[in-house]
Amino acid sequence: MGEWLRRALVVAAKDIRLELRSKTSLLSGTVFAALVLLIFNFARDPTSLSTLDLAPSALWVTYAFAAVVTLNRGFSVERENAALDGLLLAPIPRGALFFGKYLANFAFVSVVEAITLPLFVLFFDLDLGGKLPGIIAVAGLATAGFLAAGTVFSAMVVRTRFAELMLPVLVLPFMVPPIMAAAEATARLLGGRPLSEILGWLRFLGFYDIAFITLCGMTFAFVVDE
Amino acid sequence: MSNGELERAGRVVRRGGWITGAALAGVAGIYVMALAYTPVEVRQGPAQKIFYIHAPAAWAALLAFSLVGLASILYLWLEDPRLDRFAAASAEAGVAFCGVVLTTGPIWGKPIWGTWWTWDARLTLTLFLFFLFLGYLVLRQALPDPSERGRFSAVVGILGMLLVPFIHVSVYLFRTLHPQPILIKPSSPSLPPEMLRTLLVSFAVSTLLYVGFVTWRYGLTLALEAREHHARG
Amino acid sequence: MADVPQNQGYLVGAYVVAAVVYLAYTISLWRRARKALRKEELPG
Repeated sequence: MGEWLRRALVVAAKDIRLELRSKTSLLSGTVFAALVLLIFNFARDPTSLSTLDLAPSALWVTYAFAAVVTLNRGFSVERENAALDGLLLAPIPRGALFFGKYLANFAFVSVVEAITLPLFVLFFDLDLGGKLPGIIAVAGLATAGFLAAGTVFSAMVVRTRFAELMLPVLVLPFMVPPIMAAAEATARLLGGRPLSEILGWLRFLGFYDIAFITLCGMTFAFVVDE
Repeated sequence: MSNGELERAGRVVRRGGWITGAALAGVAGIYVMALAYTPVEVRQGPAQKIFYIHAPAAWAALLAFSLVGLASILYLWLEDPRLDRFAAASAEAGVAFCGVVLTTGPIWGKPIWGTWWTWDARLTLTLFLFFLFLGYLVLRQALPDPSERGRFSAVVGILGMLLVPFIHVSVYLFRTLHPQPILIKPSSPSLPPEMLRTLLVSFAVSTLLYVGFVTWRYGLTLALEAREHHARG
Repeated sequence: MADVPQNQGYLVGAYVVAAVVYLAYTISLWRRARKALRKEELPG
């Protein structure tokens, strides 16, 4: 188990180092998220819809699309460098390979989300009060959920011609349940409800995460191996 | 050699065509039964009869999806290309049935529920199946290598199956939080025998139509493979 | 007793649309199969 985890972390570290060199994923994702938030703000009629009503949806739509943008860049880099083939020759258990890539993706998307959050608070004029831990918990669980399918699909679409288009087409249905739960929970938190009220949503997210991380880990082998 | 392949494909295609033809005749029969034989429901009016087409199509869509999922699992395990061909055929048929559900649903919903769309369990799930089918088929189109195509779409099929229960729960949770406006409550209870009979026959016809479509599409795949083998060979 | 709602228009609309969808897919299958089964133009 320790060996398996170590290998996964090696894979994750390699991906993270690669990204830190060019930073393209992080930059694309962050800029994109900021722009989407901006559009939400200007697309709103301030007299009809309060910021608090729109805020959770705006945040989660932004996070969803920023995640897709970030994921797209990740695998493209590898394809360009043919680095994936080298990695596959190594006898890494495919589950560990999946988990390593998944962790790296989680790191990238988390950074994008973390940078976006203060912008969100600023644009929507929110008072975060003691709500931050709850929001981080929700965001973490939801992101953990949809990145599982995201990691598998981004490995698949690398082989196709229109990868940037194929990835959203495949992954968006899988993002709906976690995003729905996250938006509902975020709405409650921003509305000042205590953490105890969103435990149901957190449980839903937890189940989703476990189910998909497991199955995606199991099926990843069929995507990367002949 | 490949001429024999093509002939075999032709046989499967023709069988599929006949089954589909029979099923379409069955659909026409359902139309007649629904319009002439079944009574008009007093509270909902004639529009209630859309149900005889809508519900069996939803059943067929779900059947198509389940079988794609099952074939996907078996394909990854057994690597039998027949399973892959079957899954692809089932997915296309699924799109057709989803199309019927998603068009007749709102047309039924407007007079019965007062609104074109309502996030009810059946309609929402079918919408998701539709997008999953589409993603599945689009992915297949984008993968020329048969091994990749089979494996990757099988993974999509399996992950899609896992998504379904979560969609169910999401819809349930969503609906309890956002009660949908319902102006007229559709009647439930006592189903007169004509209605029940028509519904049952319609489900059977729907299933037959699914079998017809899948057989036909399977034969088409065989034919396309035969042509490709001839070109390469 | 209340009047039965006069919504036959929807009924007809739905039945027509459903028929169109089924027939469209059937025709698509038929055309593709015919093209694939042509003997004269077998490649190679």
